[in-house]
Amino acid sequence: MPVAASAIYFLNLRGDVLINRTYRDDVGGNMVDAFRTHIMQTKELGNCPVRQIGGCSFVYMRISNVYIVIVVSSNANVACGFKFVVEAVALFKSYFGGAFDEDAIRNNFVLIYELLDEIMDFGYPQNLSPEILKLYITQEGVRSPFSSKPKDKPVPNATLQVTGAVGWRREGLSYKKNEVFLDIVESVNLLMSSKGNVLRCDVTGKVLMKCFLSGMPDLKLGLNDKIGLEKESEMKSRPAKSGKTIELDDVTFHQCVNLTRFNSEKTVSFVPPDGEFELMKYRITEGVNLPFRVLPTIKELGRTRMEVNVKVKSVFGAKMFALGVVVKIPVPKQTAKTNFQVTTGRAKYNPSIDCLVWKIRKFPGQTESTLSAEIELISTMGEKKSWTRPPIQMEFQVPMFTASGLRVRFLKVWEKSGYNTVEWVRYITKAGSYEIRC
Amino acid sequence: MTGMRGLSVFISDIRNCQNKEAERLRVDKELGNIRTCFKNEKVLTPYKKKKYVWKMLYIHMLGYDVDFGHMEAVSLISAPKYPEKLVGYIVTSCLLNENHDFLRLAINTVRNDIIGRNEAFQCLALTLVGNIGGRDFSESLAPDVQKLLISSSCRPLVRKKAALCLLRLFRKNPDAINADGWADRMAQLLDERDLGVLTSSTSLLVSLVSNNHEAYSSCLPKCVKILERLARNQDVPQEYTYYGIPSPWLQVKAMRALQYFPTIEDPSTRKSLFEVLQRILMGTDVVKNVNKNNASHAVLFEALSLVMHLDAEKEMLSQCVALLGKFISVREPNIRYLGLENMTRMLMVTDVQDSIKKHQSQIITSLKDPDISIRRRALDLLYGMCDVSNAKDIVEELLQYLSTAEFSMREELSLKAAILAEKFAPDLSWYVDVILQLIDKAGDFVSDDIWFRVVQFVTNNEDLQPYAASKAREYLDKTVIHETMVKVSAYILGEYGHLLARQPGCSASELFNILHEKLPRVSTPTIPILLSTYAKLLMHTQPPDPELQKKIWAVFKKYESCIDVEIQQRAVEYFELSKKGADFMDVLAEMPKFPERQSSLIKKAEEVEDTTDQSAIKVRAQQQPSNALVLADPQPVSGAPPPLKVPSVSGSTDPESMARSLPQPNGTPSPDVLSDLLGPLAIEASPGDVSTEQHGPIGAEGVPEEVGGSAIVPVEEQTNTVEVIGNIAERFHALCLKDSGVLYEDPYIQIGIKAEWRGHQGRLVLFLGNKNTSPLTSVQTLILPPAHLRLELSPVPDTIPPRAQVQSPLEVMNIRPSRDVAVLDFSYMFGTKLVSAKLRIPATLNKFLQPIQLTSEEFFPQWRSLSGPPLKLQEVVRGVRPLALPKMATLFNSFRVTICPGLDPNPNNLVASTTFYSESTGAIICLARIETDPADRTQLRLTVGSGDSTLTFELKEFIKEQLITIPMGSRALVPVPAPVPPVAQPPSPAALADDPGALLAGLL
Repeated sequence: MPVAASAIYFLNLRGDVLINRTYRDDVGGNMVDAFRTHIMQTKELGNCPVRQIGGCSFVYMRISNVYIVIVVSSNANVACGFKFVVEAVALFKSYFGGAFDEDAIRNNFVLIYELLDEIMDFGYPQNLSPEILKLYITQEGVRSPFSSKPKDKPVPNATLQVTGAVGWRREGLSYKKNEVFLDIVESVNLLMSSKGNVLRCDVTGKVLMKCFLSGMPDLKLGLNDKIGLEKESEMKSRPAKSGKTIELDDVTFHQCVNLTRFNSEKTVSFVPPDGEFELMKYRITEGVNLPFRVLPTIKELGRTRMEVNVKVKSVFGAKMFALGVVVKIPVPKQTAKTNFQVTTGRAKYNPSIDCLVWKIRKFPGQTESTLSAEIELISTMGEKKSWTRPPIQMEFQVPMFTASGLRVRFLKVWEKSGYNTVEWVRYITKAGSYEIRC
Repeated sequence: MTGMRGLSVFISDIRNCQNKEAERLRVDKELGNIRTCFKNEKVLTPYKKKKYVWKMLYIHMLGYDVDFGHMEAVSLISAPKYPEKLVGYIVTSCLLNENHDFLRLAINTVRNDIIGRNEAFQCLALTLVGNIGGRDFSESLAPDVQKLLISSSCRPLVRKKAALCLLRLFRKNPDAINADGWADRMAQLLDERDLGVLTSSTSLLVSLVSNNHEAYSSCLPKCVKILERLARNQDVPQEYTYYGIPSPWLQVKAMRALQYFPTIEDPSTRKSLFEVLQRILMGTDVVKNVNKNNASHAVLFEALSLVMHLDAEKEMLSQCVALLGKFISVREPNIRYLGLENMTRMLMVTDVQDSIKKHQSQIITSLKDPDISIRRRALDLLYGMCDVSNAKDIVEELLQYLSTAEFSMREELSLKAAILAEKFAPDLSWYVDVILQLIDKAGDFVSDDIWFRVVQFVTNNEDLQPYAASKAREYLDKTVIHETMVKVSAYILGEYGHLLARQPGCSASELFNILHEKLPRVSTPTIPILLSTYAKLLMHTQPPDPELQKKIWAVFKKYESCIDVEIQQRAVEYFELSKKGADFMDVLAEMPKFPERQSSLIKKAEEVEDTTDQSAIKVRAQQQPSNALVLADPQPVSGAPPPLKVPSVSGSTDPESMARSLPQPNGTPSPDVLSDLLGPLAIEASPGDVSTEQHGPIGAEGVPEEVGGSAIVPVEEQTNTVEVIGNIAERFHALCLKDSGVLYEDPYIQIGIKAEWRGHQGRLVLFLGNKNTSPLTSVQTLILPPAHLRLELSPVPDTIPPRAQVQSPLEVMNIRPSRDVAVLDFSYMFGTKLVSAKLRIPATLNKFLQPIQLTSEEFFPQWRSLSGPPLKLQEVVRGVRPLALPKMATLFNSFRVTICPGLDPNPNNLVASTTFYSESTGAIICLARIETDPADRTQLRLTVGSGDSTLTFELKEFIKEQLITIPMGSRALVPVPAPVPPVAQPPSPAALADDPGALLAGLL
């Protein structure tokens, strides 16, 4: 396994080191200064996540107001480094109770050092699973008063558990009420031409699960995906039901899923870890139901005036509604005055991002809404280069709607004691990068 | 600015930003805000406008693009109140530059402020114009600013600014100041008492004088007076005294201005200036305080360059040198650097070399300075000051330093050492020693040119050969030697190894063994040289040594299948040749002497140095080289080889060796023959291959013919790095007969000529046309007039702009009859390429002839009165270009010798007359008679007569030249008698005719 990091630094936005840990001595302690002067203080920050300066590679990522920088001098596995950072942040979040920012780091120095010692050894990533680490790094983080209350936990034999057959679940759990929460979260990425042709479209989805189940339950999940349905009908030797089947690409499962059974029976069966986890991830490129249609018309009237007309149509079911819809319509840099008329929501001009921002709190299905704006530009001395017309961007959330059409057919729970469980299923579709050229 | 809350809030917001991104967001927000406000229909209050414009300036200063709001800024200029005007002027001069159209809107307002009565406004306006004023401003404002500058009612503050403003306007548009009218006023201005105004005015003066020093000659004594005043510290207010030095800025400027005047004629002015300079030179010393040092040294160095410029008395110059010598020994590196630099500049001035030499040891110490820039200066200086007397020391010092010098300097160092060794060698063996040592110590940095040059010298000096061979042999004893050393030693030992045969350890087989040891470690280009050496060793072994032969054949056999074609060819050829016996001896005989030419090293160094302005090379070029090397060679180092080169080589040897040496004379014009010869393709293939092809034993072996052919040194004109379009000689010949046409053309330039002749005077105009889209720089024209012509060429601009034509009139006056021709030495740079050409000016004898038609009554008495030699000369000319009579008549008419028809009763004869004009002879009638033989048109009898014997002879020769078959270049061949072997015939005349160098020499 390749090295992932020689040292890891946590910097705030000004470039001060909050905390750091050196795993190998092949990078000097002052390399972080190079990062500060050559990356943070230049305009290139954020352009490229991996930079090489003075024989060292800097792999960095910004999480809220913290830069996490991995410094490597050897030929490291960058993907491994990024994954490590993502997992570490998830771990910290689960320790701190949700928030990960400069203040959380400042409040948890000791805990973070302890965790950093544990999750990486001589540059090689180690176990990052919160469930397991929490067994032996028992020092509680300082929780913010709003996060959930700590639970009492016995201190079992960590070694036994890690080396056991079901490393991700402790034995002897018991809940009064056995509940399973299943969330399907999809984000839609779209690039559409001004004429309404789809240039690029895909959906990335996650199946998130939260289990509060006693004992060692065995779960089985059925989705309306193509492979699973075909296999099922084959096994039961009856024709597949008519209706929509979804073809999933690039499926990845959590480690708890029994892959042998998935390979032979195409069913997702697993013993879940306790608490929250991501069961599977997938991607869909065909048959995507777009939740919104956008029809922009932008006219440049001479050098100092523009007319913008944007019509947004919701094409999901009439009973559903979208929340937090934001349409960002780019305008030239020299915009001086704007005049709006909107059917719903509110719009304003934001000069720091050079966009008209149109916000609609609640957008029912099968309706449409328009914005028309008159824009006055100031004349400039600069050379007359034409405006590049960046795409319109959109943000939204549509609950109980999946752009892919994916549905949970069943979720079965078996346990020796045979208790009853309550299953909750939720769907939500969000905008990823939802862009319409204008 | 006080009380502008919005602005201070904005600035503090920006200062409180945690990072760049937050700052950008804040700035973008503010810009949006400003845009909205500027766009609002409501008229902005002056306060608000001012506030936003200040904000814009602040944002601009932070580095963000502010590309709007210029209108508002410019409009503030016309505001009535000072605070608004201030903002307007400041922001306009920061945000706009002279090319902005917006500024046009402001010209009128600015003008009103300038001619207005308010001093504060005047200052603001003058500052704006002084910073961003362009041509438009210059055209409309110059008279007003001038008025302001000379007006007595203005305060010095305003006039100071006016002077600087005028300077800007003058720079933008030199026509803004009319030299005739302004010169007197300028002189008056220099009488000013206020030092501030004086300083600004002197800045203006420096610029004016640099443009046209003649018009402002009246200012010269004033400058001296200013200097006197400052030097005596008279009437210098406290605020203009800087660390006890009275206004150093003004001193420097005044001295700078003085340097633009060519000389100072007036003895009293000169005397007082020298007094001042003397005072400055004496009074400056190194002190503790850095600022004081800087100021006093600025003055001092300016004074030094003024002294150099004025060509002061020797005493003063040596005083300067002594002062500089003191600086060199100071610890402070800046001063030492300046000292060295100025001393290098001093070298340009004659007569001070000796006093500089006194500091040689100190300069050598500077070569070890920790600061590289000082080391470089020291190296430059050493290089510049080197001459015959101290060459040995300096070169040895450089060699010693070479082993410790850092890598970036080594190449330059070795090149310079090589050049100095070559130029100033007291004796040749020392030169060989130095170069071998150089190669030994810094082989990596020794370019091929350097070792080519050694080989060239050794080949050309027989006395040197045994010494060089034994030296080379000594170096081979070292276990590790540089590859270049292997090349040199192999070459020298191959050629001259046999001269050592008697010495122990130098028999052919021993030489072979020691050289062969090196073979496995050398790179491909060296192997051919080694192979040649083996072949030569084998050839020199008499009687043949069978054992050595076996070994060498084994080597040849081994390389017969080498992948490198050069090595393979040599191996095959040498192997075959070595079986041939006698032919082998011929082919591998000693290399002939190299023709003398300018050292390619010096050329290279010139190229390298061209960029640095105080190049010591230029100094070098002025100095006489040592005689040692020249004595050893029959030809002078500089200048083109004499035309008799061919016979002198060929005449002294038997025909066979001449055939061998043929490629050499052919190659004469090429400056790089040596490198051609020593390059891998041709190290000695020239003699070898010529014979090979003549004897033809190898073609059958399958060696490609063209490879052999290519090994012959190409006979090409290479002085010009560009390809000349058309034949120069033909163009010249055509121009001899007509008055306008193209004299020279290459891809970059075309030189046309147009001439008018009147009596003994003529006026030619040279048209230099740049054919390119980029300028031609360093254009230089130099006329080399023969004794009988007086020529005056108006200066040609240094640069010819793209696609432009420059005219340069040339006045010609003929003093006495002669056929010699003036030569134009013409050169220019295209990019980094130097092109030069020597062109004959078509101001030939016939141009001073005036056609005249004589009747028989006039002709015959005169013809008879010219009784015989030397006034009348007769000659039978053979080898004439066959021409029909009418054509011959046209030819005569074309060079203005009028044919008088019907005078001679014999129809085969021509009678001609003309008038010749020159300053010494006045107008003289010349008569000529040509008797042709209808049976043989290649010969005729020519009789020429005139009242002046020289003229008769010259005219006769001139007509003869025109009639002979090959008019051009034939003169160079004249001394070459018939026994030129047939092989030599084809290339020589053409090559010589095309070579301007040879032509030039022949003509001069």
